[in-house]
Amino acid sequence: MMEKRRGKMWALALMCFLLLNWVADVSSLSVTVTDVECVYEYVLYEGDTISGNFVVVDHDIFWTSDHPGIDFVVTSPGGNTVHSLKGTSGDKFEFKAPRSGMYKFCFHNAYSTPETVAFYIHIGHIPSDHDLAKDEHLNPINVKIAKLREALESVTAEQKYLKARDTRHRHTNESTRKRVIGYTVGEYLLLVAASVLQVFYIRRLFSKSVAYNRV
Amino acid sequence: MFSGGLTACFWPIILVLCLSRNTNILPVAEAIWLTIPSSGTKCVSEEIQSNVVVLADYYVIDENNPDQIPTISARVTSPFGNNLHHNENATHGQFAFTTSESGNYIACFWKDGSHKQDSELTLGIDWKIGIAAKDWDSVAKKEKIEGVELVLRRLQGIVEAIRGNLVYLKDREADMREVSEITNARVAWFSIASLGVCIAVSVLQIWYLKRYFVKKKLI
Repeated sequence: MMEKRRGKMWALALMCFLLLNWVADVSSLSVTVTDVECVYEYVLYEGDTISGNFVVVDHDIFWTSDHPGIDFVVTSPGGNTVHSLKGTSGDKFEFKAPRSGMYKFCFHNAYSTPETVAFYIHIGHIPSDHDLAKDEHLNPINVKIAKLREALESVTAEQKYLKARDTRHRHTNESTRKRVIGYTVGEYLLLVAASVLQVFYIRRLFSKSVAYNRV
Repeated sequence: MFSGGLTACFWPIILVLCLSRNTNILPVAEAIWLTIPSSGTKCVSEEIQSNVVVLADYYVIDENNPDQIPTISARVTSPFGNNLHHNENATHGQFAFTTSESGNYIACFWKDGSHKQDSELTLGIDWKIGIAAKDWDSVAKKEKIEGVELVLRRLQGIVEAIRGNLVYLKDREADMREVSEITNARVAWFSIASLGVCIAVSVLQIWYLKRYFVKKKLI
């Protein structure tokens, strides 16, 4: 009966431990950045790996050139900048959290056109040897499972990044297709208009109302 | 002996509670926090394919005055414009649906009219789609698995989701490649056609001017 109770406690502890391990995984959300948009996420343990990516999925740009990009700044709970990227149209990031607490992930848009940013942030925790020594219920197998889970998580993160980039390329493609048709039709109309104007001008040169013997 | 066993049973639960962020606000699932401006709406969106389970949970976080937590309103719209969830004057809520069409799903939040202070609000959102939204507790209960086996079953679910995503990305890339090929062919044909238009227009010009000069008896 004592073993049964201990077995039950072990299972419960493992479940609770696994509950703690499945932390901080938000789906790839998009947010529209007009000036500054900040997202906050809580990091439970110091030394956790914060990984993620973001892609600027911009709207159709017809006449102007590409948006120069947005800035990305990660601020630690102490107030210092942990990670920053300037003027990119999308990138991946990964760093170790120097301390636990609430981290701020901010996107800065220097220009007035609002941009849509699709981002994904993941905070992964792998129990270290110190945790293994402290907690008798932890097994080295938990470490291996956590590492496996983090590896699968990185594959999923890469897929989300590829999906967001694919969306961005799709917008560019659509814009190019529309522009090809627009510019071509415009070009033909301009050609016809120019030649009609030429004909009229030559007619005017030969008309009697304008200086009779000029030509 | 009995009390000792009971406390030993409860220490993991206490550990979970102590490590959660705010013990007076539930639920304590990990989520991202957003700030809602004092005027205007804050929207988050995601492009989701069809037949995917979406599970989301949102709650207002206000540590200044826990007695009078400001309320917000929420609306979730599908890409075709249907209203999937609408909530007014709430401090927390949740919605779940299965997507019927693929496209951009938008969830918008705004402050209620009764709390028009100038302060910004912090909103926590726990947004899960697909395999992350699966209820593993019910699977564990139904199939009576626990511990390492449940973990490995979860990993298997993640791997299957990865494979599904890969197939989806492949199809999308194939569609995009088609569009690119069509655009490429069009650019080539339109350039040749513009040369044709040029030649045709100049021939018409010359023909018209010749006729005009003959009519005016200049040639």
